[in-house]
This record gives sequence, C-alpha cells and structure tokens, in this order.
Amino acid sequence: MKSWTRREFSRLAGAALLTALNQPKARGQAKARVVVIGGGIGGATVARYLAASATAIEVTLVEPRQSYATCFFSNLYLAGLRPFESLSHGYEALAKQYGIIVVHESAAAIHPAAKTVALNNGSKLSYDRLVVAPGIAFRDRALEGYDEAAMEIMPHAWNAGQQTRLLRQQLESMEDGGLFVLVAPPNPFRCPPAPYERASLVASYFQRRKPKAKILILDAKDSFNAQDLFQDAWNRHYPGMIEWLPAQFTGGVTAIDAKTRSVITAGATFKAAVANVIPAQMAGRLAQQAGLANRSGWCPVDPVTFESALQPGVHLVGDAIIGGDMPKSAFCANSQAKACAFAIAADLTGSARFPAHLFNTCYTYLAPDDAFSNAISFKPVDGKLKSVISFVSKVEESSEVRRQAARAAEGWYDAFTHDVFG
Amino acid sequence: MRPVARSAIATGLVLLVSQSGAAAEADQGAQLAATCASCHRLDGGGTGIPSIIGLGEERLTNALLAYRASESSNHIMHAIALSLSDEEIASVARYVAKQGSNPR
Repeated sequence: MKSWTRREFSRLAGAALLTALNQPKARGQAKARVVVIGGGIGGATVARYLAASATAIEVTLVEPRQSYATCFFSNLYLAGLRPFESLSHGYEALAKQYGIIVVHESAAAIHPAAKTVALNNGSKLSYDRLVVAPGIAFRDRALEGYDEAAMEIMPHAWNAGQQTRLLRQQLESMEDGGLFVLVAPPNPFRCPPAPYERASLVASYFQRRKPKAKILILDAKDSFNAQDLFQDAWNRHYPGMIEWLPAQFTGGVTAIDAKTRSVITAGATFKAAVANVIPAQMAGRLAQQAGLANRSGWCPVDPVTFESALQPGVHLVGDAIIGGDMPKSAFCANSQAKACAFAIAADLTGSARFPAHLFNTCYTYLAPDDAFSNAISFKPVDGKLKSVISFVSKVEESSEVRRQAARAAEGWYDAFTHDVFG
Repeated sequence: MRPVARSAIATGLVLLVSQSGAAAEADQGAQLAATCASCHRLDGGGTGIPSIIGLGEERLTNALLAYRASESSNHIMHAIALSLSDEEIASVARYVAKQGSNPR
C-alpha cells in the first residue's frame, strides 16, 4: 500500500478544493472569459446563471440598450391594462449582484478563429466561449411594400419598444367602428399564440371603449396555436368582433400599401383604420452575418450544450435557434439558457454535469380575467429537441379556473423577470 | 506508517469523498432549482404563484410526488414533476428547503 504523507494529503485535499471552487481548467489564466451578445431573455439568463454558478468565469454581456422591454405581457399594455414602464427591465442587478460586466455597445462582427468580438465603438473583446442570443429579424422582402417607412405607419410591434407604443397610440386614437387588421406570420415565428392573444386583448379594449370596432386577422397559415381555445373565447367574450381568414381563403397577404394603410391579398384589398403587420421571421442579423444560420435562416445547435453546429466555441439560445419541438418563446429561451450556462461552466471549470431539464410554460390571455396555460417538457433525442410531455388547458374549464390562471400569470411575470434580470 | 495515522488519513479521505459527493448533489439541486426559479421567486417574494420557500424538505418532496402522480391539481406542476426522477426530487427538495426567505 502506498503510504500517504501529510504533504501529499494536503495536495490532494487542495486539488479537491480547487475543483470545488470551480477553477478554470487552463492553468496560468486567472479566469475563463465568456462573452454573451444580446441582453434579451436568453442572453441575460445565460449571463446570470454563468456568473452565479461559477465564480471562476468572467462574464461580459454586450447589449446596446440600457433596458429591455418584454414582448410577453406587451399585449396587456396594448389593451390599456398595464403601463409600458412595467414591461421594462434594466441590467443594474446583473452588474451589481452578479458581477457581470455589462457593455452597452452593439457587436459589429464575430471572429471565431481569433475568438474575438468586434464592437461598434472600435474595441475588441476576447473570449474562451461566446454565446450569441440575437433574437429575430424580419425576412427581407417578405411582404412587398413593407419597408422601414411602412413600419412607422403600420407597426409590427413584434420587438417591444417604440413600435409597441406606436401601435397603442394608433389603437387609442382610432374611431369607434374602425377596422383593425392584424397580419399573422408564417411558421416558425416568435411566440406562436401571441398574434391571437393580441387580437383577444385588443378586442377586450374595443369592447370597453370602441364597441363598434372590428378585428380582421389575415393569416399566412391555415391553422394556429391553441385554435380551439381562442375561437371558443372569441365566441364567448367578443361575439361578431373578430374574424379570422386563413391563407386558403385569401391566398395569403402579398403586399402592403402604407399610403392607403391597406393590406393586399391575392383576391382582395383590405383598407384598415389601424394595421398591425407581423412579417415572416428569421434569426437576428448578427447570426446571419456571422455564418451561424443555415439556409433555413435559423441556427442549428447541439441540443445538449447549445453549441453552434456551424461554428465551434459559439453557443446560441432563444428564438434564433432551430429548436426542434421547442417553440420560440421567452420561457424556452430561459430554459435553454440555463442548460447552456451549466454546460459551459462544466466545460470551463470541470464542474459536474447533470441531465438538463428543458421546459416551456406559457400563460395566454383570452380576456383580462380569462387565461389558459400550457406546459411541455423536452429532451434531446437523436440530435433534436423532442417534446416528451405536454399539457394544455381545456375548452370546457370553469371561469374560476381561468380567473386563477390570469392571476397566476401576473405572479409568473414577476418571478420570471426576477429570474432573468435579478 | 502507524495504524492510527493511516486510519486518520482514511477518515479524511472518506470525508473528502463525501464532501465532493455533497457538493455534486448541491450542484444538481441548484441546477434543478433553476427550473423552479422560472416561475417561483427563490427569495420568498412574489404573489400569484405559491411560494416554495420555507416549506421544508419533506413537504416539498411530498408535493412533487403528489404532482407527479396526478394531473388533477395543476397540469404545469404535473408536467414538471413527471420529468423528475426520485433522486432528482430528493435533490431539488433538499436544495430548495435550504434557501432562506429574503424578499427584495
């Protein structure tokens, strides 16, 4: 038997302690560096969980905006049920409580071979691992005539901010009896139930303030998420107010005429008092420029580590990825971000790995006191993210169950935004 | 080497091993609790979603086992609990039970 000396023993103990303290594997380097580009839900969550789980990792978050406005719950703002300020979250807690270096600049380019990120102000950041969470961009020329100028007349309001405020102003100043046209995008797009939640909550606003107004949804699809729940609610809450036209009836929206505020389909032209045009989507611009997206316009990733299938050392989370069965939702982005952060921490520090748990939970409002929810769990199977278990509210649920879900949704928003932004 | 020293060292090694085992378990508990934190504030604050802080390990374990067994009370918690093994339920319950209430 080997006889252990005290020195050897303390060396062993020391080694174990070092592992426990999550020291970076690389010797001679004080801290492993992770740069996260994009301070939306996915990016902010990766940064927070990396910083919280491994003190030996220096985390830099690159985000040009001083605060982030959530798309989720912005439909409540559009219906006059929530102030815009309540959707806005700053990065102060991530910086102060978690020690994350927050850089308010835009990323200009990524250089994976040199492991650097060039910022718009001319400076450069070096990294050991890079996480890109670029969100969505709109596809070029998806709708003829829908350019930047047209967006100021017929807002998309699909990135929360000035666009959301603009749509709210237009809804407020619309006369009673006006037609609100909502152009719903083709799959896949950010937050599958959201266009229909928007129609529902705008209807609740019209019912209170402009009862003669009508809502027309011109869809690029022939069916949509939780359609039975929405159509049941529209009949119960807003009879005769909302009309949904699938692509097979209209031939799909082909063009926009901002001058006359009209939406043009294969067979007809619809002149709107207010129009909300939500175009076809793809991964955010930076992902396209950096070669992180494939021909589909979205980013293929490893479903365990969320490392890019196209650029080693670069990870992606959130709406920009090809998520298999995972929808493009804030909840999924948050769930992917945690799995990604733990995988990166394990790689850089040698900390233990555990099977990731991936979920989507979603609360959707049909009316201010009527919400439904779903819950889905996912697992990586053969390189793809597959749904394993799925539950959704049922059409025949009591109004009390729906009222409770609407209240739970408020609590969820508070807890979720605390989880992401501290 | 004297037997006393050897046994002292052996005890030390056992301690080390069990400590790193405990650390791994705490890490697993922390990673699983990150899932809870998407809906439940872990500082004990918040309204609308029931708090899971201050409940104790046994109550948390029993609640997760009950949610796993039946969809009737809450389909969200049923879906979450169905994805957890017995070991994972024990691990997350132990971790969450140790979190103190400190609302901001």
